[in-house]
Amino acid sequence: MSLENEVEVLRKVPLFRGIDETKLRLLAFISDRMEFQEGERLCTQGEEGDSAFIILRGAADVLVETPDGERKVADVKENSIVGEIAILCDVPRTATLIASTRMDVLTVSKDDFLKLLKEFPDIALEVMRTLALRLERTTRDLAAARSVAAD
Amino acid sequence: MCFGNVLRGQQSEGAQAQAMRSDGRVAAGEGAEIKTVTAPGDLCYGARVQPGTWGEGMEKSLFRFIWRYSARQQIYILLITVLIYPISYVLLELPKLIVNDAVQGEDFPKEIWSFEFDQISYLVVLCVSFLVLVVLSNGLKLYLNVYKGRLGERMLRRLRFELFQRVLRFRLPHFRKISSGEIIPMITSEVEDVGGFIGEAIALPALQGGMLVVQLGFIFMQDPLLGLAAISSYPIQGYVIPKLQRKVVLLSRERVKNVRTIADKVGESITGVAEIHANDTSAWHSSDLSERLYQNFKIRYEIFNRKYFIKFLNNFMNQLTPFFFYLIGGYLVIEGDLSIGALLAVIAAYKDLAGPWKELLAYYQLVADVDVKYQTVVENFDPADIYPVERLIADDKVTLEGDLVMKNVSFSGGAAGQEVSDISLTVPSGTACAIIGPDGSGRSEVLQLAAGLVSPVAGRVEIGGRDLEDLTAATLGREIAYVGGAVHIWTGTIRDNLFYGLRHRPVGEVLREGEAAAEYQRWQAEARETRNLAYDLTASWEDLAAAGVEDEIALNARAMALLKAVRLEADVYRLGLQSRLDPSRNPTLRQSDFGARILAVRQALSKRIASDPKLSGLTELWHAERFNNSASLAENLFFAVPTDPDLTLESVQSLPEVRTFLKDSGLDERLQAIGQKIAETMVELFANVSGESGLLNTYSFLTRDELPDYERILRLARSTNPRAGLTDADRLRLIGLAFKLVPARHRLGVMDDEMRQEIVEARARFLKDVVARSSQFEAFDPKVYLPSLTIEDNLLFGRARVDRRDARQRIDAVIGSMVEESGLREPIAFAGFDYHVGVSGSRLSAGQRRRLAVVRALLKNARITILDDIATGLGDEEKAARAKLRELAGGRTLLFGASHSAVGDEFDQKIILDQGRILEDAEMGA
Repeated sequence: MSLENEVEVLRKVPLFRGIDETKLRLLAFISDRMEFQEGERLCTQGEEGDSAFIILRGAADVLVETPDGERKVADVKENSIVGEIAILCDVPRTATLIASTRMDVLTVSKDDFLKLLKEFPDIALEVMRTLALRLERTTRDLAAARSVAAD
Repeated sequence: MCFGNVLRGQQSEGAQAQAMRSDGRVAAGEGAEIKTVTAPGDLCYGARVQPGTWGEGMEKSLFRFIWRYSARQQIYILLITVLIYPISYVLLELPKLIVNDAVQGEDFPKEIWSFEFDQISYLVVLCVSFLVLVVLSNGLKLYLNVYKGRLGERMLRRLRFELFQRVLRFRLPHFRKISSGEIIPMITSEVEDVGGFIGEAIALPALQGGMLVVQLGFIFMQDPLLGLAAISSYPIQGYVIPKLQRKVVLLSRERVKNVRTIADKVGESITGVAEIHANDTSAWHSSDLSERLYQNFKIRYEIFNRKYFIKFLNNFMNQLTPFFFYLIGGYLVIEGDLSIGALLAVIAAYKDLAGPWKELLAYYQLVADVDVKYQTVVENFDPADIYPVERLIADDKVTLEGDLVMKNVSFSGGAAGQEVSDISLTVPSGTACAIIGPDGSGRSEVLQLAAGLVSPVAGRVEIGGRDLEDLTAATLGREIAYVGGAVHIWTGTIRDNLFYGLRHRPVGEVLREGEAAAEYQRWQAEARETRNLAYDLTASWEDLAAAGVEDEIALNARAMALLKAVRLEADVYRLGLQSRLDPSRNPTLRQSDFGARILAVRQALSKRIASDPKLSGLTELWHAERFNNSASLAENLFFAVPTDPDLTLESVQSLPEVRTFLKDSGLDERLQAIGQKIAETMVELFANVSGESGLLNTYSFLTRDELPDYERILRLARSTNPRAGLTDADRLRLIGLAFKLVPARHRLGVMDDEMRQEIVEARARFLKDVVARSSQFEAFDPKVYLPSLTIEDNLLFGRARVDRRDARQRIDAVIGSMVEESGLREPIAFAGFDYHVGVSGSRLSAGQRRRLAVVRALLKNARITILDDIATGLGDEEKAARAKLRELAGGRTLLFGASHSAVGDEFDQKIILDQGRILEDAEMGA
């Protein structure tokens, strides 16, 4: 339960891969470490998002509202970041997260993350690169899907 | 009633009022040690109010003021001064006598009053008389100085008090023309000089003038011509100097006004400081002030020039006179008309003349200065339309029963949108009437007229056939409750503000014994002497009878009911939870076993937490054998709280007993090492973070400004040079840093299990060595209520876990429900009554302030309640609030000001105003 092992985890998160260790330590230090019991909600779809979650240990189910109630669409595991969209742009939570095991989570508040980006532009660059990659992949997927649909 | 003799034609009412108030009593409640007796008796302005000291305008001239209020004392001072004079004279003559007569004299023995003295005993007698005279003369001077000072202070107190009373007598519209920034220096600093002057006012000119006349008489007796020469410069001085002085007086006047403006500007800048920052106008305000300061400098410089020129002129004239002496006297001597001895005597006498003349001139300048200050102050306190004094001080209350009637009332506030014309309306007694109109429609003015706060220009406002103009503040302020658009909350506690509307006069007297009684007697005598109010501030002032309750407990209960009604009770309860309270010092709480009940909830809560895994995961309770990761290292180590609430646990390492403990237990080294590690991490993490981001101040243990200092401490700590060691202060800072560590929040990896164990073990030692011996700490004990902790902390007796989401809110909800179940909610809310609301209620929100003001008004239990712009929204919540207010006013007259017409439909009567005229007056029959 120290900064060091949190930094270990952060380094495995793709979003933070290129960022040097001191800055990751700072990120870890300004985040709150939270414990969630099985079944506890991390966030609820539709509410305003003010923080991102970095999963240090455990896993969570991702649920979305459907006309038939909440349905599980995916799960997230250790070493991943969720809810980062909410801290980069003001959109409501797009899904509900419920802990499926006991979890240790680092929560980064929106304000602090933005301050950190302002403070260290290379983190912003890295975040941009990761998001661009994701966008590129999504665009490619979309094009593929379209061509399938056109056929 | 003591004011009876100055009040015209109100004798019978006075008697009636006395009968009404003779039941004056004070509730037991908190003040168990203050015994109270019945019958307020003659609690009023010292002795009788002297006709003329209050009813009329202020004395325009300082001398009239002084003579009127201290003629007797002035004559007394003059007598003592005159008495001192011959003594001083003899005191000057005696040494000559001793040297010439006793030491060098002959013809002994000498006979004085049929006693014979030889040379030695003659010397002894003269020396002893010299000693006696020294003692007498200095003793008298001491006495006189103290007497003068006391007189000055009393007159000053009287003047200041009267000025303040006059401020209270100003009509409301007058306050649009004056500002507090101008009034405050007038009452405080500007009249200060007057006090110092009063003791000298009569005695000095009388004495010095007398001496001058005597000396002049001597010169004239020697030779009338020389006498004329001696006073030859007086006509010129008497003509020129007042002319010059007049200009100085005008300048002083200007200066006083300029300083007043400066005070006003500074005051306004402080009030509007947020606007200054928000608009970047600090340069403008600074320049404005700079300009004023320059004006001040210019005026002062001008004054100096003229003042010293007067001095120069005077000295010059005085030294010119001997020129005439030598010329005319010399001529006379040569001609043989005057003996040389007489000329020398005259010249010597003229030298003595210079002293009194100089004194008189200095006095003249002082008078001119002080008098102008007095006048410049007093002229501001005599507006033509000031309320008669009876209105303010009379204690006679009449009952305002009957309909509220306005007959052709007109009023002008002096600006557009502040006037009403020809208003005629009737609000039947006991009904609720809405006065509807937007801002500027005359709504607020009509409501203020109804409250008797402003006077109509034409027409009459009557309640039950009585013209409000003729009623005293005692009636208006007690029979009518008014809450306007801009409420004022007084600096003090919530309790002070709640019961403010009941504090008209002291109810009952405090029984004093021994020294306290003597001191109180003295206090009263002084008040009488200076015509100040002699009401006892320490007595109970809450008029329980007016509030319609039996005792203080019932009053509290009523206040609580009203707080609930306006939905302020929940806020007060939360404030109560946050407050620190010592039940053993509070009789009501002691009686109701408050501490024990809190402990019962604490135990029930800890049981519930233990049995409910969901709750136990949210909290870490204090446990003597366990380390609490959600609490700071200091709390964990000391396991106690400092009794002084200003002393935080993170700074107690400066206490000597704590330092000794840390040293003896060897913990100081360990803590210092932890502090050093923390400092290292902080420096590493935040070295490249800029100050602007705020990250450092929010998350770090240290602030941006401290960072370089810790870098220095770290360099020293790492240094191998034995001489460059850490100072004691540095060590303490590192330890203080370690104390702030909350392991669950700050995951710095500086705490291992071994260290935790060590800290837990040290607790017992700290308890034995420090806590048991010192009153500075109170030990954590699950079975003891700790007055130094907030009520909330006493209930939970642990910490909500910092690493669980919303743990605090979730556990608060549980505490809230348990408090409710145990019936403690009310006592805790009562604890909130003692919450200090800050300067003018600044620690409350605007909404809270308004609600508090409404409760204050309702608590008065007045026959007529007037609310302006309170709960006027169209939403359901506000609508319910209005229904509640109508219910609370039930059976009494209620005037309700609102801007929306729809609001009016809920009331018995609706009067719509537009541009100062009644547009519609309708019975709603609601």
